[in-house]
Amino acid sequence: MTAPLLAVLALLQFDSVPKPRPLLAVGEALAINVFVNRVDAWVFNDDWAHTGPKWWRRNIRLGWEWDEDAFPTNMFAHPYHGGLYFNAGRSNGLDYFESVPIAFMGSWTWEYLGETYRPSLNDWFMTSFGGITLGEMFHRLGAKIRDNRATGFTRTIREIASLPVDPIGGFNRLIRGQWTAQGPNPPEHDPTTYALRLGGGIRFARRLSADSGFGSMGTVLLDVFYGDQVAEAYKAPFDVFSLRLLVTPQGINALRGTGRLYATNLNSPSGRNRHMLAVNQRYDFIKNPAQSIGGQSVEIGINSRFLMGNKGFGIRTALFGDGILLGAIDAPGTGFGERHYDFGPGLGARWEVALEKHGQRFLRVFSQLEWIHAVSGASADHVVNFGGIEGGFPITKHLGFAASSTIFGRVSTYSDNRPRDARDYPEARLLITWTKAWFAQGQPAR
Amino acid sequence: MRRTLLVFAALAVVCAGAVSAQDSIPKRHRRGLWGELGSGPGYVRVACSDCEDVIGASGTTSYFRIGGVISKNVLIGFEVFTLLDKGFGFGGKDTTVAETGTAAIVLLWYPGKTGLFFKGGVGAAFGQFSIPADTSGLVPADTSTGGGIGLTFGLGWDLPISRKFAFTVNAAAFVTALGDVVLPGHEVDDVIATNYQLSVGFVIR
Repeated sequence: MTAPLLAVLALLQFDSVPKPRPLLAVGEALAINVFVNRVDAWVFNDDWAHTGPKWWRRNIRLGWEWDEDAFPTNMFAHPYHGGLYFNAGRSNGLDYFESVPIAFMGSWTWEYLGETYRPSLNDWFMTSFGGITLGEMFHRLGAKIRDNRATGFTRTIREIASLPVDPIGGFNRLIRGQWTAQGPNPPEHDPTTYALRLGGGIRFARRLSADSGFGSMGTVLLDVFYGDQVAEAYKAPFDVFSLRLLVTPQGINALRGTGRLYATNLNSPSGRNRHMLAVNQRYDFIKNPAQSIGGQSVEIGINSRFLMGNKGFGIRTALFGDGILLGAIDAPGTGFGERHYDFGPGLGARWEVALEKHGQRFLRVFSQLEWIHAVSGASADHVVNFGGIEGGFPITKHLGFAASSTIFGRVSTYSDNRPRDARDYPEARLLITWTKAWFAQGQPAR
Repeated sequence: MRRTLLVFAALAVVCAGAVSAQDSIPKRHRRGLWGELGSGPGYVRVACSDCEDVIGASGTTSYFRIGGVISKNVLIGFEVFTLLDKGFGFGGKDTTVAETGTAAIVLLWYPGKTGLFFKGGVGAAFGQFSIPADTSGLVPADTSTGGGIGLTFGLGWDLPISRKFAFTVNAAAFVTALGDVVLPGHEVDDVIATNYQLSVGFVIR
């Protein structure tokens, strides 16, 4: 069933001119569901995938519940899956807001029709909101990696390299003949400012591999800065975003992304010092041996830049308050069923101060406080405090080293007389880094 | 409930009359600051962890929206929605008064030139379940509240009656996650109340 459907889509889409195709976007989002369901049913023979009208009727009658999936499944895999739906819209010419309903629709139909399980409310939240955040970032990263002016081996490598972040966009380009066609790049390919930082090194932390004592292990860091929060006027959602990925031998340690939904100048854009009010959409996934926390948030606050002297130095500040639409935090011994973490909305705030030179931050102090009120799992209120200091020091034009020290603390209060849970997780990192940065018109950072 | 349905039907007839007046009024969506107030019948379906089945009850809904304009076809607003049911029962025998609601940021999207719009939003949810005192006096009156997160989505149609005013008909769903609800003798875990609403509203635009 999937193959004919994809064939029809391919025929309909053999057109390299990007124009809005909402019906094809919906069709692709549904095709993703059919494809994933059939792979799980036919290849992996998963019981939950053998769904049908009997289960659909049951799901529609009973409605939403909370599920018991593992933390990485709910907080990373589902948002990534949601990004596929969202990018079915983006790669069919829909803009950010027009693609939002595609993400919700794709997730809703999966929850009700794609599994024998009852529809899961936390999945709908995480897949939709997380899919929008990650999807838009990945759409732009995919456009940045690809280059419509490149040819030959380089072109093919770029197209393949973009697949992990934007597989649906890559698939659509393939069936439209855009993997080889020459042409101009989309605006997303050329952000005014762009910085990529790769790092590898070692991390030290308490409770890395046991309940007490310090340990160490290798770690890989990827930082992406797309656009500049204070140097650029607002153009479209996620015209500015930042993304951080931390990977250790235990898997993904952190994936955090913040994208600008809206911004406006609070003073003259030509002023020496700049202040911009911004509304950001945020995705957080943090999982280490001591803590697991994640969620979907919206934050509002002020980004400022104060220039010092005439050599490009400056101070950047950020002060934001946020609402957690739905967060998750580990709660050992509580949770729901086999799930050992709670779900709930919350509130929080964060601040940071950074020293920069020509837009690149080399010293940063930050702190973040979040409160999560559990609505599934234990009857609890969780308060999380995360703060630290990070430094990046250049050795050559691209090479440098980075050091950081952070502490992650949490206090959980349970309303059922369970003892208060207070824990912290101090961590330090030493990394060798490679940085590449672009300023306007692709000029390398000064 | 019957009275609500009658009022809803009467307002629907008025709205139908307003349709005929549309030809003489320039087609436009809401502009600037706008507000909307409406009411209609609703149905709430409550699910919880370890519940073998869902509990459903009908009730009266009301809502209020106020907002502004993002672009020609997209509005942003703040919406408060409530559903009240006086014959609700978690256990099938009690006569709990249930009130659920959301306070959400909503987006209204008008895909074309007609008054058709789609709505989506997210915000805070609340639920209150009140049990009256037993006539024997053995069971005292009690109230339990829950709070959490709410999602809403739906569609509607604006029916202009003048340059400044319009009627609107709405069909919407409100998914509200309320957490645990503690009632005398038992606790209901991880309550999710899904509200369905049909309504007629009056718009100042």
